[in-house]
Amino acid sequence: MDIEEVKQRAGPREFSPKDDMPEEYRKAATRMIQFHANSEIMGAYLEKPFIRQAPSLDRKLAFSAKVQDEIGHGQLLYRAAESLGIKTRDEMLDELAEGEGKFLNCFHYPMDSYVETPMIAFFVDGAAMRRQATLKSTSWEPYAHAMDKVCFEEGFHVKHGEAILYELMTGSKKEQEMTQEAFEEWWPRIIQFFGPTNDKSTHHGFASEVGLKQMGNDELRTAFLNAYIPKAEKYGLEIPDEPRISKNDDGTYEVVEEDLDWDEFFTIAKNDYEPGVGQIEGRKASQDAVEWVRESLDNHENRLYGSSQPQAAD
Amino acid sequence: MAAVEELSEPGSLSEEEREAVRHQLFRLADDEFVLAERYTEWQVKAPTLESDLAFSNIAQDELGHARLWYDLLQDWGAEESELIWERDPSEWRHSTLVELPFEEGDWSDPVLRSYLYDVAEDIQLRALQDSTYPRIRDRVGKILGEEDYHREHAASWLERLCEEDESRARVQDALDRLFPHALTLFAPTDEAVEDRIDELGIRSEPLVTMREEWLDEVVPFLESLGLSVDDAELPEQYDVHHSQLELPEHTGRDQSHTDDWFDLYDEFTRSYRELGRTSAARIMKDPDDE
Repeated sequence: MDIEEVKQRAGPREFSPKDDMPEEYRKAATRMIQFHANSEIMGAYLEKPFIRQAPSLDRKLAFSAKVQDEIGHGQLLYRAAESLGIKTRDEMLDELAEGEGKFLNCFHYPMDSYVETPMIAFFVDGAAMRRQATLKSTSWEPYAHAMDKVCFEEGFHVKHGEAILYELMTGSKKEQEMTQEAFEEWWPRIIQFFGPTNDKSTHHGFASEVGLKQMGNDELRTAFLNAYIPKAEKYGLEIPDEPRISKNDDGTYEVVEEDLDWDEFFTIAKNDYEPGVGQIEGRKASQDAVEWVRESLDNHENRLYGSSQPQAAD
Repeated sequence: MAAVEELSEPGSLSEEEREAVRHQLFRLADDEFVLAERYTEWQVKAPTLESDLAFSNIAQDELGHARLWYDLLQDWGAEESELIWERDPSEWRHSTLVELPFEEGDWSDPVLRSYLYDVAEDIQLRALQDSTYPRIRDRVGKILGEEDYHREHAASWLERLCEEDESRARVQDALDRLFPHALTLFAPTDEAVEDRIDELGIRSEPLVTMREEWLDEVVPFLESLGLSVDDAELPEQYDVHHSQLELPEHTGRDQSHTDDWFDLYDEFTRSYRELGRTSAARIMKDPDDE
């Protein structure tokens, strides 16, 4: 299939491993899905400390289940990416460990306090839900299929985040103040989640033309703000003065782009942001520490099936 | 054992009966909670995505079991937060096996620890199936079903890791370190209270019998993998009168713990303290909730 035909046919779940897709499409889809899969893993890494920090049994169970879900999403998405024939899962996991794999801006900022958890679990996950819901109709069928399960589970995560936010904002004065402070720190990052405006986004054009992306950054940001500004206010959070956000008559939002730190955003995008480097290296160190187990599993598989078989861990 | 009468409702137990039931419940609840707390350290750190998912499941099962047991302890008025986040760490009764920290990357430890624990738990739960305390008896079945899978998971990992000299050596190191602590799973909280637990029929097997049963199962299995369980080769090991000699300095059951436990307790209660959620400072319920 050539690119022209791909563009003509590009509809929801139109292409699958049965189709002979051009390399340009397969590379673009791999980049997108790998980014998504990496984000699941790094999101899990970010939230993991709060399994321990959760202040009740129910919350502890929920955080553990959520982190587990994210790892499961990573597994599912790497599989969808592998089906494009560009990279294997091991290659993608290696790239992530080596700091070459890209992932969501918000997951480069470490979290120190429990009051930060709804910033991820409610706002960032809520933002991710917006984008992911549109990806159920992406043109790469295995990706869309993975989104069915991912979106279903993300729905629970957002509710979990919302419940924590509610609890904190109806808690003591101290809890409310700590939460507002965390919100002010995270709010600009959350707005940047959707990236720069469409005209500044490098990969937007092609991905839309071949049906990988279903909605642009601007539309998604507007939809998110429409839903989440009222929610934040409902729970008693004050929207910070910056970035300046104004609502147009047609219901869309205008974010003043120069109020946001795009240098930081693009430093993050290159995996050069210091705290984020710490996250990447922390995860790499823990993965290196269990390399001996993977070797041992590989040897086990080889003894059983011979070395030509792909490895399947337990 | 002589036929024993069924115990009455939580509120109508004599003080001595209540103490016995509570000791039994804290043995169960604290073990599950602290073990799960340690297990979750492996989330996002397990060797593969698949092993990560499996181990997370097990951690959540154990947390769920802890909740079932703490729930029974709430029959006497304490809330979950008081039983867990506000109970002094020096009052906990879990075995030291479950509180020990993991070394980074030492996957042989959680796998072996899980095996040693799950075999013991299976034996202990079966001794509760006919408990004279109905509220314990009713909860055993659900837990037993899940533990089967945990044991299988741990045993199959051990089999794989012991296929090669290098990884078997790591398991052996873990075994040398963990085995004395595993014996504390069967250590008494308090001799007199443990005897009462048996006399009242709260459990059907005394600790020493369960420990023998445990040794009869784990020692041959571990040896079949090429591991050596030195202490267990001695016949004295089976002699109840030697039990104290083989145990580590702290057994956990008697509320003496390693420093690692106090560190762990500090960590998992940190947010709770930062948020100011102590019972004394508990704020009014949101009127909207009424």
